[in-house]
Amino acid sequence: MAVIRDVMPAFELLQPNSVADAQKLLEQHGPDAWILAGGLDSFDWLKDRIKKPKVVIELSGIEELKGVRATGDGIEIGAMTTLTEVVTNPVIKQKYGLLAQSAELVASPQIRNQGTIGGNVSQDARCWYYRAGWPCYRAGGNICYADTPVGRNREHAILHADRCVAVNPSDSAPALIALDAKFVIRTSKGERLVDAEDYFIGPEIDITRLTSLQPGELLTAIRIPSTWAGAKFYFEKVMDRNVWDFALLNVASAMVVADGKIVRIRIAVNGAAARPLRLKEVEDAVRGQAPNAATGEMAGKLAVQGAVPLQFNAYKIPLMRNLVKRAISGVREATWAS
Amino acid sequence: MSNREGEPKAPERQYGAHHKLIGKNYETADLYAKVTGKAKFAEDFRAEGMLFCKLLLSPMPHARVTRIDASKALAMPGVKAILTADDLPAPADSIDDNGKVVKASPWNERGLTMEPVYPGEPILAVAAVDELTAAEAIEKIHIEFHPLPFVLDPLESLRPGGPNPRTEGNIWSSPEHHGPPQVTALKWTEADFAEAKEDRLPMGEAPNTWTFGDIDAGFKNAALVLDETFITPDTSHQTLETRSALAYWQNGKVFVHTGTQSTQQTVPQIAEWLNIDASKVVLISEYTGGGFGSKVTAGVSLVIPALLSRKANAPVMMRVSREEETFIGRARPNFIGRMKVGFSREGRITAIDMFTICNNGPYEEQGDGGTSGYIVSLLYQPLAMRWRGVTVLTNTPPRGPQSSPGGMQGITIIEPIISKAARKLGIDQVAIRRINCPEGKAELGAGEAGKREHAASAFLKEALNRGAEQFKWHERVANRPKRIGSKVRGVGVSLSCFVGGSTGFDGLLLIKPDGRIVFQSGIGNLGTESVIDVHRVGAEILGVPWEKCDVVWGNTAKNLPFTCITGGSQTTHAMTRAAHATAMEARKRLQEIAAKTLGGKPEDYDVANERVFRKGGGTGMTLAQAAQRAIQLGGIYDGHEANGEVNAVTKASVAALAGQGLVAAARDNYGGDGNTFSYVASFAEVEVDVETGVYHLTDFLAYADVGTVIHPRSLGGQLLGRSILGIGHAIGQKWVYDPHYGALLSRRFYQNKPPTILDVPVNMQWAALDIPDPETPVGARGVGEPPVGGGCASVLNALSDALGDDVFRRAPVNADTILTSLEAGRPMQHPLLAYI
Amino acid sequence: MIAGGVAVSSASYLFRASTVQGQTSAASVAERLITINVNGQQRRVDVLKSETLAWTLRYKLGLTGTKLGCDRAECGSCTVLIDDVPHYSCSVLTHTVRGKKVLTIEGLANADGTLHPVQQGIIEEQGFQCAFCMPGFIMSAVAFLKTNPNPTRSELAHGLSGNLCRCQDYDKILTALMRGAEIMRGANRV
Repeated sequence: MAVIRDVMPAFELLQPNSVADAQKLLEQHGPDAWILAGGLDSFDWLKDRIKKPKVVIELSGIEELKGVRATGDGIEIGAMTTLTEVVTNPVIKQKYGLLAQSAELVASPQIRNQGTIGGNVSQDARCWYYRAGWPCYRAGGNICYADTPVGRNREHAILHADRCVAVNPSDSAPALIALDAKFVIRTSKGERLVDAEDYFIGPEIDITRLTSLQPGELLTAIRIPSTWAGAKFYFEKVMDRNVWDFALLNVASAMVVADGKIVRIRIAVNGAAARPLRLKEVEDAVRGQAPNAATGEMAGKLAVQGAVPLQFNAYKIPLMRNLVKRAISGVREATWAS
Repeated sequence: MSNREGEPKAPERQYGAHHKLIGKNYETADLYAKVTGKAKFAEDFRAEGMLFCKLLLSPMPHARVTRIDASKALAMPGVKAILTADDLPAPADSIDDNGKVVKASPWNERGLTMEPVYPGEPILAVAAVDELTAAEAIEKIHIEFHPLPFVLDPLESLRPGGPNPRTEGNIWSSPEHHGPPQVTALKWTEADFAEAKEDRLPMGEAPNTWTFGDIDAGFKNAALVLDETFITPDTSHQTLETRSALAYWQNGKVFVHTGTQSTQQTVPQIAEWLNIDASKVVLISEYTGGGFGSKVTAGVSLVIPALLSRKANAPVMMRVSREEETFIGRARPNFIGRMKVGFSREGRITAIDMFTICNNGPYEEQGDGGTSGYIVSLLYQPLAMRWRGVTVLTNTPPRGPQSSPGGMQGITIIEPIISKAARKLGIDQVAIRRINCPEGKAELGAGEAGKREHAASAFLKEALNRGAEQFKWHERVANRPKRIGSKVRGVGVSLSCFVGGSTGFDGLLLIKPDGRIVFQSGIGNLGTESVIDVHRVGAEILGVPWEKCDVVWGNTAKNLPFTCITGGSQTTHAMTRAAHATAMEARKRLQEIAAKTLGGKPEDYDVANERVFRKGGGTGMTLAQAAQRAIQLGGIYDGHEANGEVNAVTKASVAALAGQGLVAAARDNYGGDGNTFSYVASFAEVEVDVETGVYHLTDFLAYADVGTVIHPRSLGGQLLGRSILGIGHAIGQKWVYDPHYGALLSRRFYQNKPPTILDVPVNMQWAALDIPDPETPVGARGVGEPPVGGGCASVLNALSDALGDDVFRRAPVNADTILTSLEAGRPMQHPLLAYI
Repeated sequence: MIAGGVAVSSASYLFRASTVQGQTSAASVAERLITINVNGQQRRVDVLKSETLAWTLRYKLGLTGTKLGCDRAECGSCTVLIDDVPHYSCSVLTHTVRGKKVLTIEGLANADGTLHPVQQGIIEEQGFQCAFCMPGFIMSAVAFLKTNPNPTRSELAHGLSGNLCRCQDYDKILTALMRGAEIMRGANRV
């Protein structure tokens, strides 16, 4: 069978109006079904004709999945809320600005107008071998093409590699982890809640997927508790181009400082491993310390302990070190006299 | 980021002080159609019964197709035809500009193949009622390959025992007696490769070389000698419009809708590819979505819909996808270059020993290697120089000239060396370039028998000085500190140039009986606006307001003259000359008509304000009346006879217009002393964050010496647009290949990184000297390519100013390079590894 | 016999059902007749489930001003407005825009031919070069300027950052679109 990487294959399109209907359709069609949120991840697979689902269940007609609403303690964001809505929502901007900052750096304006928060956290890896359809571990095969002496792995993992060295590409994921978000997943048996950091999995759990979402399950909402509302936030995304680029690395942190000391902190990094990493050891080490350069440097060094560079991604070690340092101790503004 | 972010745009400079139309801004005739979405590009056309074709591409870098079973595909009711290499016509001989027959080469690219020599090469095409059917048909084709040895990296191929990309060898060489180029094999020795261990380019046997002066003496007398190795990236042209094409046959003629840079000149090219007579080809191309050298005369892939439509007896639309364009859409050859440069204490370059390996891809020989030496010899005026080069074939997508082919690479290799020398010698960066800058009839190349070529003119020193002033160079350099917190600033300057003209082409215009002038334009419309701009010259000479002028372009059935290719930055130069000659011819005929009609001698009459009239006042006639009279007079006046000097193509167009008014055609015979080049002085400022390796371009200026300014806004578009094309090579554009499988990994824009609007400053600056070139009547030279090298090199120079000399030794430079080098205290980039 | 530019009947371009079963998607490849609102008009058109808005506009509604530059949501040449919001139409399924308002480049100028201020600004400043990216940039700008009528060049650049120009005319594009914004403010267009 010859290969062509163009022209989306035909599929049946189902457009449910409610989560319940979506659930029923998912059960009915099982592995034949593909869930379509904003489509920006899906269409790459479909247009390359690498994936050819018989049935596409698209969720844009389900109003209950959209919008930001107050809960008893914090907010709940429907999974189909667009990234632009997340960026411009007044409550998110005012209290959970970390999420707005991260969402604003995703891709490009048109993508943010259509891409959803649920899609952004559930998106698939961007390793270029995997995305080109090569039969690697992640694709169900028995080999990794990137992790070889000559494989091109500049954008790949420096931590927790386990046969697969792809990284998670989401920008909002580390922010949601830092905000201690909970992901609401609807299953045929009801609803389950998953801590943000547990939503993402590494190859040791399942090498073929980046999230713990099982077939037949639907991510319906993301809940952010008020715990970190108004905290001191830091987000930085390092990429090659200034727009429409995936992170080489990004860092997100929420910190509460009182009397010159870090009272509590949550910090996460993405682009270093197959899942966004919550840096618990760093949090433990800096709690009670002043958020100064010395603490930052110590935190950075701690964060990269155990990092294993591949042939082309050694730069991620000083980069991760410095990003963690900056999350703790900040960046000095440079204004040049001219 | 930039200090200029909040600033409004600086007011535009005025040009064309002594002209009515030349040097003035105006609305080009194509702009309304573009702005309303009415402008039709190739894939916008539709035809009754149109079929769609999709391509089957080679998954392997080098293979032989051993079996194709398309029976299941052909059995699909919507599938109408399949095309393979067996359906291609035999390669046609061509005629060069001197009328000599050039025999067809067996090694050239043909559009389809049974021996793919690069991954992504089209093997066959399927035409079906719709794209979905065509795609499904491709998947039903059973195809078997026998893999052949492949090589991606020129250096690997040059190793003793290294693989060859084609069965016959790995280099192009010209046989002893100037016959057609042949593919032969060249291998270097183990001893040659000892240099690679020191991260320096091995320099084995070079089939191509020239020398002038005594380089040994030059190095001996130098105060400083630097020897540096540098790699420039492969960058795909990535025109935003791919080379989609629609073709159909009517009454024995093939009609092709496709993008091209050169409307008239594409017809003989299509005829050669299809091995038919040029009179059987009609090209429709009013709008082309970019070329940059990749569509000089469209692309050979257009034979696919042309032949499929003949086979299927229906129009065929070939929509080329973005990924396919990455394979078949041409790319700039990467260079592995090494230069030894000697400097006097004052920074004057005493000698250059330059060695370039040019990565040719698998097909037609690219001239980038030789051009790089040629350009360097002009731009830096070394007292002695040797250039050696080898152009190596590889199993990677075909290369094509990309804006400043060879010039960009040569400048990118030498400029960092000059910056390093300036630092070591304690000389200001602008000063060291001033001292080496070409002036006037500057010499270049080695020439023959000791007689070197020279430039027609050069005012680059003036551009450099004015540019330094406008950029506030000395203030920026003086106002250190360079570092605040984790941010470091750097400034860089680069010289830049490229060829900027050619001669000997034709113009053709018609003065209609209503007094309107119609300029027939054979130039392509790829966004440079020269298709229309050059004709302002004719309108000004004839004294006709622009509102009374029309330009016909974009359809070769509309009687176009013999025109230069719209490439090599020659168009503004060549076609303003042709426009000038044609307008002068029209003037002459108007004077003759007036004399014949009103009495006296032709020289008694003048042409202005839409009239031809007795000098000093008195009787005259309107142009409209003159045109009517021309029809009555017939002969040379209304196109029934043609000016004997013009090309056969022009003659045929003249004949087709005969009787419609005053027809004037002329050939540019103006001559001129020296080769035409245009020059740019480029200035850049960067801000680097040394903790993340991320940097931003915060300011940029291109100061140009391009002769007389014809249309300021389109000139500015070329100066800044092509500067950014060069900048892209510095800030991130490249190919990434997996060397084990020979497969392209950087398929998508987010993987091969063309510059976005946020990757350049929001306020970029440009200016032009507007000093006329003395060797051409209108004074205008061409522009597209001269800014490119300077765009790339000025950014690299700004980076080394910010970070020092031990950070990078190849382009592009990104966060990974900067961080690892700063961390290690020495350059950490792999110096010789390909496609990373 | 070219039907250039005329709205073509969907009959000419009906994607026919593949009668050959296999490992490819065996879904019924039938079109459905739907109504979509494009440039203020209700248009009835046969659309495959898997068909993108860019394709429907270009091949079924004769609106070729919206371009296909990459078909992968990366270049912005296909940008249209859906309920006043810029989208990459190559990555929108036509079946999801029923009940929404689609605006393309062809819908910007007035019925009498007078141009939208953004278009006028481009004319005045000779914006763009090959213009393949132009319709996409214009649509992004029109939407952006509605909510940000008086931007700095930098703010405008951010609003346009999803549009790629390979001629790299960014500087002149910004000048032209800033002029368009100026005209828009002066004309008080809604």
